[in-house]
Amino acid sequence: MLSQQILNGITLGATYALIALGYTMVYGIIQLINFAHGEIYMVGAFVGVLMVTVFQQGLLVSLGAAMLACMIMGVTIERIAYRPLRRSTRLAPLISAIGVSIFLQTLMTKIKGPQPVAFPPVINDALYKMGPVEISKVQIIILIVASLLMAALHFIVKHVKIGKAMRAASEDYDTAALMGINVNQVISFTFAIGSALAAAGGVLVGIYFNSVSPFMGVTAGLKAFCAAVLGGIGSIPGAMLGGLFLGVAETLGIAGGFDLYKDAIAFTLLIIVLLFRPTGLLGRPIQRKV
Amino acid sequence: MDSIFSMFLNDYYIQVLTMLGIYLIGALGLNLITGVTGQLSFGHAAFLSIGAYTSAILSLKLHIPFALAILAGGLMAGLWGVLLGYPTLRLTGDYLGIATLGFGEIVRVVFLNMSITGGALGLAGIPRSATLTAVLFVVILTVWAMVRLENSRFGRSLVAIREDEIAAEAMGVNITTTKIAAFAIGTFLAGISGGLYAHLIQYLNPSDFGFIKSFEFLTFIVLGGLGSIPGVILGTSVLTLAPEFLRFIADYRMMVYGLLMVLMMIVRPRGLLGGVQLSRLFAKKKVQQTGTSACGGAN
Amino acid sequence: MYLSSNINQLGKIEWRQSREMKSGKLWKLLSLMVITAMLLTGCSGGGGEEKKAAEGDKAAAGGDTIKIGFLGAKTGGHAAYGVETLKGMQMAAKDINDAGGILGKKIEIVEEDHGSKVSEGTNVTQKLITRDKVVAIVGDPTTGITKAAAPIAQQNKVVLLSAGAVGTGVVEIGDYIFRDTLLDAVAAPAVTKYLGEKLGWKKVAVITSMNNDYSVGLTKLFKEALAANKMEIVAEQSIQDGDQNFAAQVTAIKGKNPDGIIFTGYYTEGGLFMKEARKQGMKAVMVGGDGLLSDVLMKMGGEAVEGSMVYCGFAADEAKAGEKTKKFIEAYKAGNNGALPDMFSAQGYDAVMLIADAIKAAGSDVPEKFRAELAKTKDWIGVSGTITFQENREPIKSPVYLLEVKGGKFAVKDTVDVK
Repeated sequence: MLSQQILNGITLGATYALIALGYTMVYGIIQLINFAHGEIYMVGAFVGVLMVTVFQQGLLVSLGAAMLACMIMGVTIERIAYRPLRRSTRLAPLISAIGVSIFLQTLMTKIKGPQPVAFPPVINDALYKMGPVEISKVQIIILIVASLLMAALHFIVKHVKIGKAMRAASEDYDTAALMGINVNQVISFTFAIGSALAAAGGVLVGIYFNSVSPFMGVTAGLKAFCAAVLGGIGSIPGAMLGGLFLGVAETLGIAGGFDLYKDAIAFTLLIIVLLFRPTGLLGRPIQRKV
Repeated sequence: MDSIFSMFLNDYYIQVLTMLGIYLIGALGLNLITGVTGQLSFGHAAFLSIGAYTSAILSLKLHIPFALAILAGGLMAGLWGVLLGYPTLRLTGDYLGIATLGFGEIVRVVFLNMSITGGALGLAGIPRSATLTAVLFVVILTVWAMVRLENSRFGRSLVAIREDEIAAEAMGVNITTTKIAAFAIGTFLAGISGGLYAHLIQYLNPSDFGFIKSFEFLTFIVLGGLGSIPGVILGTSVLTLAPEFLRFIADYRMMVYGLLMVLMMIVRPRGLLGGVQLSRLFAKKKVQQTGTSACGGAN
Repeated sequence: MYLSSNINQLGKIEWRQSREMKSGKLWKLLSLMVITAMLLTGCSGGGGEEKKAAEGDKAAAGGDTIKIGFLGAKTGGHAAYGVETLKGMQMAAKDINDAGGILGKKIEIVEEDHGSKVSEGTNVTQKLITRDKVVAIVGDPTTGITKAAAPIAQQNKVVLLSAGAVGTGVVEIGDYIFRDTLLDAVAAPAVTKYLGEKLGWKKVAVITSMNNDYSVGLTKLFKEALAANKMEIVAEQSIQDGDQNFAAQVTAIKGKNPDGIIFTGYYTEGGLFMKEARKQGMKAVMVGGDGLLSDVLMKMGGEAVEGSMVYCGFAADEAKAGEKTKKFIEAYKAGNNGALPDMFSAQGYDAVMLIADAIKAAGSDVPEKFRAELAKTKDWIGVSGTITFQENREPIKSPVYLLEVKGGKFAVKDTVDVK
């Protein structure tokens, strides 16, 4: 039973990780906690439903469409709501992000109604027995898609020019700009990638739990944000680790009889980690300049 | 005095204005922590709920007089503020914010599972003792105290911490004690605000004190202008009354509310009255002569 | 985090520039504040007149419409219940008005959204009473906000009839407070007895949604009933409204092999929970209260909720429905692309009808007068069942319908009479 719970936890954690990556990349470059990120994940899931029901598409096309749509949305939001605020106080874009989040959530409630929408079955689910654990086809798909996306992200960040520019900008924004990096472009790209990953997370969660609702972004966003901080905000491997860690911890917590305190588990872990490693598990120490 | 109010105002306006007053007290508390001292707090609603539940339980179970129950709620919130502040205030910037966010969610879940708070069933039947007069009295008292505090030695050391922690320390400000004191006062006000809220709404439910409420308070003070008392008053008024004024657009109300938040930030990123101080509003010439940077935000 | 100092620096530069223009801007802001203040006082001035007018109205009961307020959420987490209640209310108002209204007046539904927030719920209640001068309020669909709104209605002597609140401590708030729901305190013991005696259940698992006041209360009732019927609880798990992942809970109860699952939460989570249970190979069926009663259950659960049982005081079962109910279902389907009404829409409809009938019986739309008529309601046949208000204004609805999901639809499995 324990290994089964751990597997459940890893699947959940993989979706947290996909969302957490968006938080962490954006924070790494512009130090903004993008509170609208959870809503992008929600919209992604709805685009997935739309593709499957209205356009009768399969999983891969729906996934791709959701990612593309959210890429455009993420970049647009950054242009309109965050870019004009880049040089102002730290809290201004944060409030702007909350405004965007309220807007998107109510817009979706208006369009699709407040009722949760069932995610139509796109794959014939089956259960496979592997030793002591049972793994479903959906779980396998989630794990494979999440791993592929994370591997692709890793490749982009390490080996592609724009990815290197991203790292440079997150290391030192102004120096990167002085070195001729088009920082605006890099930021747009970061938002595009982060939003696409969140959309993928949304579609996968929709398939896994069969339901999509306008309010799904709030808790998932908060949890993923926790995961990002746990792993060390600004660090990409940290977000992956944090997501998995949180997913497993939460599932084991429920199994261990702390189900009443499920939502508190993530935050208790968070505070403990912050107190002992103030910059998260894989974060680098803050350098204080005098 | 309440009879005088009810001559001019109908009950709906009294209700909305009382609520505004209550929010104002909480917002002024957060302003001291985030606006004046520069310590980011995403968990203000938790302290509201601690004050609300403490005072509500005291009035319901022990029938303690209203004023005392409110005070006890404030003290309890302040106590938890110190308990949380002591370990976490050494965290800087966003990390402090995240830790307080976590604390807020933990408090909510704990209240959801305690038997004395009624859990998810909520706590009902609290007497409606928070009249407009009582709230107005507390608001005036709070504003007066905040103005006095802003211009005291303590207030100036808070601003010093916000502007540059290391320089402040070098100038002899005891960073830890001062930060915790600010946190204690701010959370005390949140507790008072929560207590009054409980005695206005007459019903408490943990789900009403989630992180969304904390962000509401943050929005009040950022939109008004961080660190500016008139700014906080304006920001809180605009944002508390906006959902009520926007009722005429019915179903699109919250959408417009969200858009307004974005727009106001873009037009005035420092808040409506960013950097404006009450004393300077009345002595306007001084603004041009002195003009220390009263902004800075929560860097 | 590595750049904050730089950004700070830039922020300060910008600040220095902006200060030069500040005196001009300050004036603009001051005038803005003055305008806001004027707006506020302007409203307040009007408020005073409205207040006087309100008092005049109450005595004369003037105007050619009777206003009934809708208190509920159109946005936020509870929106699904609020929107359905409102649909039912509007249908009732339309039916009454098409038939010529009551006392020669038309019914008007005044709708407000409180966004699922308690604090706004009280504001809305106050607004409906003071500004819109409603004679009655239907709502809130949830127990929590009803409890916050009821004292205000009571103090202002306006009838409040909740079309959804089932928790305890609602009608106790005052003699203007009513509800037209099937009470779980009545239904849960009857259903538990049925499960033990007719279906032979001995071991059950109980699932509660901890952030749902309805679910917490219902679990308590079921536990008492289970103890009284000597049935054993072999596993107890908690979930939360809004949860989507129930893998851990299902894995935990699976090992205990219960005869059935008592699920006290709402339909969205219920459907998803059963889906997970079937995914993990559990065979047991689920039983729950009317919180599970919605098409959404089948949309969410699909095959997995086949055989699940739900008790309720209203079943949108066209085959077995009475005349009145059949008409209601038809009308609802016509207006909603063939979707079936749920208990919120039916109870919202009944709430308006109950108030209308009380007004008719009293011959007056003054709350003080028709309140007494409403309290006398006995064996009143509505679309959601037969309603009698007891001495303490608690409703008795009979019979309790036990529905079963069959072929993706709710079908009446049995009826359990209530003494």
